[in-house]
Amino acid sequence: MKLLKPTWVNHNGKPIFSVDIHPDGTKFATGGQGQDSGKVVIWNMSPVLQEDDEKDENIPKMLCQMDNHLACVNCVRWSNSGMYLASGGDDKLIMVWKRATYIGPSTVFGSSGKLANVEQWRCVSILRSHSGDVMDVAWSPHDAWLASCSVDNTVVIWNAVKFPEILATLRGHSGLVKGLTWDPVGKYIASQADDRSLKVWRTLDWQLETSITKPFDECGGTTHVLRLSWSPDGHYLVSAHAMNNSGPTAQIIEREGWKTNMDFVGHRKAVTVVKFNPKIFKKKQKNGSSAKPSCPYCCCAVGSKDRSLSVWLTCLKRPLVVIHELFDKSIMDISWTLNGLGILVCSMDGSVAFLDFSQEELGDPLSEEEKSRIHQSTYGKSLAIMTEAQLSTAVIENPEMLKYQRRQQQQQLDQKNAAAREMGPAASVAGVVNGESLEDIRKNLLKKQVETRTADGRRRITPLCIAQLDTGDFSTAFFNSIPLSGSLAGTMLSSHSSPQLLPLDASTPNSFGTSKPSEPVAAAGTRPAGDSVNKDSVNATSTPAALSPSVLTTPSKIEPMKAFDSRFTERSKATPGAPALTSVTPAAVERLKEQNLVVKELRPRDLLESSSDSDEKVPVAKPSSLSKRKLDLEVETVEKKKKGRPRKDSRLMPMSLSVQSPAALTTEKDTVCLSVPAPALKLPMPGPQRAFTLQVSSDPSMYIEVENEVTAVGGVKLSRLKCNREGKEWETVLTSRILTAAGSCDVVCVACEKRMLSVFSTCGRRLLPPILLPSPISTLHCTGSYVMALTAAATLSVWDVHRQVVVVKEESLHSILAGSDMTVSQILLTQHGIPVMNLSDGKAYCFNPSLSTWNLVSDKQDSLAQCADFRSSLPPQDAMLCSGPLAIVQGRASTSGRQAARLFSVPHVVQQETTLAYLESQVAAALTLQSSHEYRHWLLLYARYLVNEGFEYRLREICKDLLGPVHYSTGSQWESTVVTSPAHCLGSQHQ
Amino acid sequence: MAKVSVLNVAVLENPSPFHSPFRFEISFECNEALADDLEWKIIYVGSAESEEFDQILDSVLVGPVPAGRHMFVFQADAPNPSLIPESDAIGVTVVLITCTYHGQEFIRVGYYVNNEYSDPELRENPPLQPDFSQLQRNILASNPRVTRFHINWDNMDRLEDTENQDPALGCGLPLSCTPIKGLGLPGYIPSLLPENSMDCI
Repeated sequence: MKLLKPTWVNHNGKPIFSVDIHPDGTKFATGGQGQDSGKVVIWNMSPVLQEDDEKDENIPKMLCQMDNHLACVNCVRWSNSGMYLASGGDDKLIMVWKRATYIGPSTVFGSSGKLANVEQWRCVSILRSHSGDVMDVAWSPHDAWLASCSVDNTVVIWNAVKFPEILATLRGHSGLVKGLTWDPVGKYIASQADDRSLKVWRTLDWQLETSITKPFDECGGTTHVLRLSWSPDGHYLVSAHAMNNSGPTAQIIEREGWKTNMDFVGHRKAVTVVKFNPKIFKKKQKNGSSAKPSCPYCCCAVGSKDRSLSVWLTCLKRPLVVIHELFDKSIMDISWTLNGLGILVCSMDGSVAFLDFSQEELGDPLSEEEKSRIHQSTYGKSLAIMTEAQLSTAVIENPEMLKYQRRQQQQQLDQKNAAAREMGPAASVAGVVNGESLEDIRKNLLKKQVETRTADGRRRITPLCIAQLDTGDFSTAFFNSIPLSGSLAGTMLSSHSSPQLLPLDASTPNSFGTSKPSEPVAAAGTRPAGDSVNKDSVNATSTPAALSPSVLTTPSKIEPMKAFDSRFTERSKATPGAPALTSVTPAAVERLKEQNLVVKELRPRDLLESSSDSDEKVPVAKPSSLSKRKLDLEVETVEKKKKGRPRKDSRLMPMSLSVQSPAALTTEKDTVCLSVPAPALKLPMPGPQRAFTLQVSSDPSMYIEVENEVTAVGGVKLSRLKCNREGKEWETVLTSRILTAAGSCDVVCVACEKRMLSVFSTCGRRLLPPILLPSPISTLHCTGSYVMALTAAATLSVWDVHRQVVVVKEESLHSILAGSDMTVSQILLTQHGIPVMNLSDGKAYCFNPSLSTWNLVSDKQDSLAQCADFRSSLPPQDAMLCSGPLAIVQGRASTSGRQAARLFSVPHVVQQETTLAYLESQVAAALTLQSSHEYRHWLLLYARYLVNEGFEYRLREICKDLLGPVHYSTGSQWESTVVTSPAHCLGSQHQ
Repeated sequence: MAKVSVLNVAVLENPSPFHSPFRFEISFECNEALADDLEWKIIYVGSAESEEFDQILDSVLVGPVPAGRHMFVFQADAPNPSLIPESDAIGVTVVLITCTYHGQEFIRVGYYVNNEYSDPELRENPPLQPDFSQLQRNILASNPRVTRFHINWDNMDRLEDTENQDPALGCGLPLSCTPIKGLGLPGYIPSLLPENSMDCI
């Protein structure tokens, strides 16, 4: 574990009441007291994570600060999507923030330059309902609801899809409500209040499920907050401040029967905040040890008024670590990183601490799919625990799901209408601004602006609207509007002719060989920016986490909390060597020294001391109290009805993950797919023609002539196929009409009516008996000895005619075309028989025969490509002119990265990350396309970039991969050169 | 929070002769359509000593204001020299641009203005009676002093029943706004200072 107190995270000494890490881990928000208002600050995460970034002046630490709250901000929470930030404060308001579409930093008028906000976050909704200070806010799973609680004793549930609509106001607490947590399954919400109760509410009808008071009976005094937390597996709810025999505890409440017979003890003062790690963990499998799979467990951080922090694993009886003296005042809030390995803790003293754990310490986190499987096996299918992708393919199991789908459709309709309404004014404004530059507008503003006189003779100016209010996502719309020139792709194509590009709107088969390939590329590049942004969001929201029907590998039973149910017997023994895993790395020590921090390594003795602090007065009385409690509990549970599986009554939520209209379309279509079999995709079919000629683009000297309905002897109609290559001509006849033809230097193939496909050698010899296609042909294509047939039913097949093997067998395009009105704009078949589909939305997918998957190899709207800047790593001769299928598919001008560098003043670390991500995706795409030339090119670039930027770790991995016997799949003739050149260049740079 | 925030004020035609009109190009952003007009004023501070010599050069209504970014040019005639004390005609003074909504001022932008003779000879030996036609006005455009105030942006009558306990719904933005007091105009400025003016960061 490493510990850091970034001193630069502060509110000028004012208390920080809340901290929350953005789901993508790149930033975090703090909320608290400002100068004479509330203050929300968004900070950059990388300077916390990396010392280099902390020292780098060019990397901003503060991204944005908002002083809009009139009084102290008590809580800041990111939505699960990361799109919104909600803040609640003493001004009784909840503000919902969204990032605005500005590029680069902007200064606030009248302020000095360095206070510039790097990011612009704009308040999109102000939620007014509470009549007292808002203490806590919480987004429900999937961001369907936002809950807020207040000192007005109520909890308000807001419709997060339609702010500021209030869905329910939960009344029942008789004291200040100071903490909220949603059940991860979405069935309950729990609140804790100063009235010495913790209440669990059903989301089905927003009624009280249970009120737990027993553990809080002894609670006296007040804590500023009572932030409780629900475990990610849903089994346990852990309260803030509770008491057990005059000792402060965090009460563990079991979902099953709301039993309360375990707690976390050891803190000397009231527990203010409990926060579960979002991940579920399993024991690290050690090499060689018996592979007995252990039960998954959860991890929980507890912060207290005693200024110390403890971290617990539910599989251990003692805390993993306790850190004392971390702060000068009470801990106020805790936030885990999404990967579950880091926590940020904030304190009333106005400082923040970051703890970084290793996987060795916490265990292996389960993947989201595994987590979701655990949820499903425990709770059945419910909306909250399914990803959207799963939802769309799920079988309707309960009425809620049906309801959800209907509602979804209605919402989509609403949204579409809304979008249509919005289009009007937007278009007119665009007209004004697009017609002339802002400069021109400014020049003539005085003359042009409309000035009238009011009835009482006063001057009235109608201001010129220069922009609509943009609360859209941070997007690269600006860049997308720059038409990407397709000329490069065009030149590549002419110089490197073996892979062919085909436009698919092949209503006229003649156009096959003659149409210029650069046109469709350019067209794809200049798609309306707005469109592309929306399309991107489709990708973002529908996670492709298709649930595989494979057998559950991890045990679905969660290890029960061992925490402290046996502590009474155990404490006297105090088994040494138990958990304490605190190891402070030298680097961390150094940084700690600078900040005069005391980190105590937790030894069993310490633990004994700390835990005995609170309850040494009554060591004997405890066991009896426990049994007494259990008794009480049994009485309680009798009264409660036994809980059924949540699937029976799990309530449906009106959730929609900020669906924009195209995304809505997707879900709409998908939901349709739910009940009926997939709607048949229809691709255009070539109509029969009397005659046509086509030139084979890979071999310009070769052309194919087709003549249908040539009357032969006896009135029988035949079709004639003629092929001319370098003056040599051959000719053959077929019995049915030829619809389309294709050829390469190795084969000629024709598709006829009645779904027949015939393949001939270059000399006109029939190679195969006619192939019967599953449905009529849409597009036919040959490269080398590979024949590709795309049928009208959107299935794709590729055969290697020479080796007589199937490469791709009737693969449906459904997965890449489904969900919107996309069409295939270009098809490419590489020399290795890899089919690549360029879609009308600018994305290109190739089918990977070995994995049987469609892989995204190119995206015109990919912001990575536009942000990536690797000029420094380009070889002296501009090797961007590396040709190959990837280059053709992407057709990207080499200057995009430079534009980005010039126009986009992103922090260096972001630039680095995007560049790395871009280069990596290029390497992977080239590899998947089996384009050896390009693979080499991008790998070299990548390696060079790694060297230039000093990413030793990744470099090592690459070298290891290259040297080891890994890449057998790709061509062999270049393998050795790839290995030698980077090794050479790396070797020289490393010394 | 504030519904309107001023993004920029560009000072046009600066420097210029004393008698030429003031021109400010103001861009602002509004996050919610406003029911009523904004009222903008240009105030010329004739003398630092007393508010008495303030001249409201012009006041203009701006509207309708839908949500979005807007800009307009605010032009106002030069101050009337006869209302300026002779001793204050030359040297540094202040011009203020203020904006009010429903009669409540929510932003005040102040600029230093330096009036001096363009002719070096006159500068050396200024005439006893200031010659305004020879004066050149130079607005220190690079250094605006911005003060923002919390005001109530919502409808008055709605306020009565729902939010009477919360009269100040305005907000300020993070900014540095040393009160103009710092400009060395002690006599005038304190009266300008609202109670809830934002402090510097």
